[in-house]
Amino acid sequence: MSDVATKPRPSLWVRYTSSSPIVVTIYALILGLVIGALIIVTTTPAVLDAWRGLFSSWNGLPHALNVSFNNVGAGYREMFTGSIVDPQGFWHSLVTGKGWPNTLTPLSETLTYATPLVIVSIGVGIAFQTGLFNIGANGQAVIGGIAGVAFGSMLHMPTIIHLPLALVAGVAGGMLCGALPGVLKAYTGAHEVIVTLMFNYVTYAFLLFMVLSTPFQQPGQSNDLSRTMDPTAVLPPLFGTKSGLRVSYGVFVAALVVLFAWWLLNRSSLGFDFRVTGANPSAARASGINARKVIVVAFLISGGLAGLAGVVQVASTTHYVDGTFLIGNAGIGFTAITVALLGRNRPIGIVWAALLFAALGVGGRNMQSTTGIPLDLATVIQSAIVLFVATPVLVKEIFRLRNVSTVGLQISTTGWGS
Amino acid sequence: MSLLDKPTESIAPPLVNSRRTRVIAVLMALVGLFTLFVFGLGSGAKTHSSLTFDPINVVSAPIKLGSLSMSVRWTDVVLGLIIIALATEVFVRQPRRGVMARFGGVATLFLIALLSWAARSPGPSITSSVNITSILVGSSATVMVLVFGALSGVMCERSGVVNIAIEGQFIGGAFLGSMIASTTNNFFYAAIGGLFVGGLIGLVLAFFSLRYRSDQIIVGVVLVTMLGGLSSYLTLQVLTPFPNFNTGDIAPNLAIPGLSRIPILGPVFFNQSGFFYVMMILVGVVSFALFKTRYGLHVRAVGEHPRAAASVGINVIRVRYINVVLGGAIAGLGGVAFMAAQGQFQVGYTSGYGYIALAALIFGRWRPSGAVVACIIFGLSVYLSYDLQTYQVPVSGYLLAMFPYLITIAVVAGLIGRVRPPAADGQPYQRD
Amino acid sequence: MRLELRGITKRFGSLIANDQISLTVEPGQIHSLLGENGAGKSTLMNVLFGLLSPDEGDILINGVATRISDSGDAVRCGIGMVHQHFMLVPVFSVTENVVLGFEPTKSFNRIDYNAATEDIRRLSRQFNLEVDPDAIIENLPVGTQQRVEIIKALSHDAELLILDEPTAVLTPQEIDALMEVMRSLASAGKSILFITHKLKEVKAIADVITVLRHGRIVGTAEPTASESELATLMVGREVKLTVEKSPYKPGDEVLHIRDLVVLDDRGLVAVNGVSLTVRAGEVLALAGVQGNGQTELVEALVGMRPVLSGTITLHGRDVTHLTPRKALDAGIGHIPEDRHRDGLILSMSVADNLVLNTPRRAPFASRGTRNLAAVSENAVRLVKEFDIRTTSIEAPTSSLSGGNQQKVIVARELSRSLEFLVASQPTRGLDVGSIEYVHHQIVEHRNRGNGSLIVSSELDEVLALGDRIAVMFEGKISGIVDPSTSRESIGLLMAGHTMEATSV
Repeated sequence: MSDVATKPRPSLWVRYTSSSPIVVTIYALILGLVIGALIIVTTTPAVLDAWRGLFSSWNGLPHALNVSFNNVGAGYREMFTGSIVDPQGFWHSLVTGKGWPNTLTPLSETLTYATPLVIVSIGVGIAFQTGLFNIGANGQAVIGGIAGVAFGSMLHMPTIIHLPLALVAGVAGGMLCGALPGVLKAYTGAHEVIVTLMFNYVTYAFLLFMVLSTPFQQPGQSNDLSRTMDPTAVLPPLFGTKSGLRVSYGVFVAALVVLFAWWLLNRSSLGFDFRVTGANPSAARASGINARKVIVVAFLISGGLAGLAGVVQVASTTHYVDGTFLIGNAGIGFTAITVALLGRNRPIGIVWAALLFAALGVGGRNMQSTTGIPLDLATVIQSAIVLFVATPVLVKEIFRLRNVSTVGLQISTTGWGS
Repeated sequence: MSLLDKPTESIAPPLVNSRRTRVIAVLMALVGLFTLFVFGLGSGAKTHSSLTFDPINVVSAPIKLGSLSMSVRWTDVVLGLIIIALATEVFVRQPRRGVMARFGGVATLFLIALLSWAARSPGPSITSSVNITSILVGSSATVMVLVFGALSGVMCERSGVVNIAIEGQFIGGAFLGSMIASTTNNFFYAAIGGLFVGGLIGLVLAFFSLRYRSDQIIVGVVLVTMLGGLSSYLTLQVLTPFPNFNTGDIAPNLAIPGLSRIPILGPVFFNQSGFFYVMMILVGVVSFALFKTRYGLHVRAVGEHPRAAASVGINVIRVRYINVVLGGAIAGLGGVAFMAAQGQFQVGYTSGYGYIALAALIFGRWRPSGAVVACIIFGLSVYLSYDLQTYQVPVSGYLLAMFPYLITIAVVAGLIGRVRPPAADGQPYQRD
Repeated sequence: MRLELRGITKRFGSLIANDQISLTVEPGQIHSLLGENGAGKSTLMNVLFGLLSPDEGDILINGVATRISDSGDAVRCGIGMVHQHFMLVPVFSVTENVVLGFEPTKSFNRIDYNAATEDIRRLSRQFNLEVDPDAIIENLPVGTQQRVEIIKALSHDAELLILDEPTAVLTPQEIDALMEVMRSLASAGKSILFITHKLKEVKAIADVITVLRHGRIVGTAEPTASESELATLMVGREVKLTVEKSPYKPGDEVLHIRDLVVLDDRGLVAVNGVSLTVRAGEVLALAGVQGNGQTELVEALVGMRPVLSGTITLHGRDVTHLTPRKALDAGIGHIPEDRHRDGLILSMSVADNLVLNTPRRAPFASRGTRNLAAVSENAVRLVKEFDIRTTSIEAPTSSLSGGNQQKVIVARELSRSLEFLVASQPTRGLDVGSIEYVHHQIVEHRNRGNGSLIVSSELDEVLALGDRIAVMFEGKISGIVDPSTSRESIGLLMAGHTMEATSV
């Protein structure tokens, strides 16, 4: 230990700023918000008008800048108040003791959005840690949702059995869906990205088929709408239905999943096998790990969690599925990829990343309704952040970070070349 | 030991291949039996179906073909028997090549059987009919868009870069194309805009994956998400307040004099929008460029074995940049073509066509010609999955919509034939 | 072409890969560059072919100093290279590979394949390089692929051919054919730089021999020099590493290998009927030039490569067809040849790497949950016991020096209760201090009455550690000798001469 100990201990600041994952993530967040701001500035008519008047009066430039900042500021402020808390309302409630449900609604919405997102992202993260890229989480969540609604609406029993049964059905549905890419990868070498990507669309077609077919479709309906889950099978709101806050007991499910994932990845022998296989498949084999088994089991867990997320999503919000359930790029399964990457595939990191992305999404809704800036800006900001997180060297170059090492930060899966 | 001089590696693979070929043969036989018993013998002896061939807008069809009435029972029995015969042939002979082609043939025969069954009338009097020409014309727009996407994939992946962002390039092209077409009323300018925006997205993909060696799949997925969000954002921010930017024209058909009057083929191939003709030319150009020219040899070498290419002085990174940008431009053009066939831009209306194009590329073994065949099969099944709802089919069209994806999964798993991607596909290249 | 290298030096960090190398290749001459793996031959060739730029020195072509900045330059200067790992696109035809980068074209940028095929046929006839221009590379045997590489170089008008370990992948018949081709090329006035570590071939074909060791030229020799002379030059007489060993007291048979046949990755026989016995309290050192089947033998022993025929028994128990897991559980310890690929997870902590292959064993885990306290305790103990220099047991293994990384593996293997130790190149790339330490640990293991098989291509290591020395050549044991045998005789065995074992 002598040769290391003789080096002078770096200062706290240096050690902090060279703790690369956090630094790169923070700078990526900043870059994402800057890009969002640029998009607001270049597309909002009022701002563009102000810039058009740049040379028409002596205060053209200050005015244009002022309008730009106001618009961007308003947008981001509304995002904040819409997803976390409105300071005015908060003080009002604190002083008068009234209006708490209203004040807490943004936070409740963010948590409602984040709950299934955490679960599915952890599934994606576990697969990533095993060196597997599960793009199919969305489809697995769809199947989970369908299974959950099917068990929740077509069987009738007391809550104590019904709710767990619905959740387990979701897990089983997701697992079934995850088994396919896992088994194909392990035994035929089919690239999991292609299989999961394709299977997403199979599940959408299956969803449309289900919500339009007799046993599953809401009786008496001709639209793409499923039956509604029994009250005994849903996740009830945490503060009762009267509060109007949607945040449900699902947060406890998510918390259990986080604990499970933390245990799995950091404490269990199986998780150790996962991480070893993901980091170095060759050494994994040499150390006696059965790669096929690891691939299949990792995909089962990943798919199972995605399925659970699907059923949690349904059971805590709509209680039924329709033809647009999780469809397209807005589906949580796709957001989960970005959340997992942002959280560096670690359970705790994923919780923070999911809360952030949920806040962006929920805040975006508020931004749209109050300032008219469309909520999809949130999606753009999210993707930009992840693009930078996936390219640490670029972030390092943009901010001229010398002390930050990007070794080991680059995320890489392999393409389908041999 | 004489083993020393003799490569023994050839012991295992043929066994595996023969097992796989048998699996395909069994699958084909099942399809044949289904056709034979359900469609064929399952129909009453007198059920007839009627196929018509004249385009609905009859302006350019001087020759009337009338309609063909046939017995569903016997047509489908014959089709089923042909499929079973093909299956038997594959099972017994185990041909080394062409298994996929036979499978494609079986799929087509099955679709014909399905159509004739779907349009059946219980008695000899005709109550409904299937218009073959209108099905072909209707699906040709889908096929066209898929071909643009698949060609984009061919360009990128042949040079060793995975382009999952095809869907994003479609969205970008469709969005900008709609804006330009609406304001200038000129689809040529719209096409230029599509080429530009697609190329730009390709450039971003190339920049991140070539310069910074970021994971190509992640960058592609993120770009699709980003373009989806951006198009939705801009729709609300720009297109909704200024509807003039999105007036939703459909590109006019340019009938080729004479040729467009040929029955069936005329409306399908020679009475289409300019984009369709560009697509047909592009297939030829890309095939020619990749397989006949010096440029194409360099591209393929870079996609298969970049170090070997570099060892003879080829600039690997430059070739990849060029191809990813060109490929992106082609997909962007595909987006404009999609817009020109569907009308005004709507959020999310490319609904995964980019991924079907990717599937077609894989099914077509990374070849333009193969990809075209795959696009036709996939495009038809996507179109029919909607169109079948107008006929009296008890099977949901959504099950048919799964077909392209399921078959692609079967292909990559090696259950049907064997596909081999370019060896360096998706792998970052670093000069040593 | 006359090629002259003057004072070429190439450094990688503190490592000097080439140190003031000067040599001359005359037209029509076959100049052989002889050296062990890691002697700096490949670095020198990469410098010459423009893949690396030298830190010092000049390259003179026909007397003119030339700067070669990429492989395109090298080809234009008339240098052709046949790489050890062929630079051929497997799915391309012979013609496509040959013309790549230098395509004759017709209108519309089309490649004129007829002209190219004609060119190939001409070269093929002229130098006796039989090949079908339309064949696809991956369907061709390795020897033919090599011919394509030579044709490719010749079609770019190469006047100097670099052949980098060209015989490493060939069968004896193919080697004979290659020799013929080399002779006909030389007689046509082409210069050839032939890189190898095989003495017999050098003697058979070279006009001049230059021997490289540790990046320096240690001598030149005529082809008339004896093989043992060449071997001595190549392996060198270095500071002898002495290891304190207790007297040799062989016990019962521990490991018994009988008629083992194992295939390599290409499906060729790599281990060809090997029989060996290792006793308790004994180190059996397996010497030999690399690539003679040692790697495959070791992989078969630890369950990472299937055994085609033959048996392996450990304490009388059949362990021939085990999975890696079962082999580990049977008590076979393994120090792998490539520690970064097979031995360590560099991104994981030292503590985790110290239990890498026993994570589920008590006390490190119970009922599926890892006992991190036990893992840490184990790490603290082993770090101390094996003197692993690390900032902390939680530091990623990538932060350790090569020597300390190897100590992690040694500590991990020797700390679990082993029945048998297999070590492959256990000290490759280590500094002298670490080498001594690893050797000391291996001998300790032996002194405790255990059996070990040590594979090494370093003669010094073999002599220092082995109680008996088995020499492997082309998949067979060419002799088993006692460590007092002269280096020359062992060198001869390594070159494939068989002799009666002097001791068993």
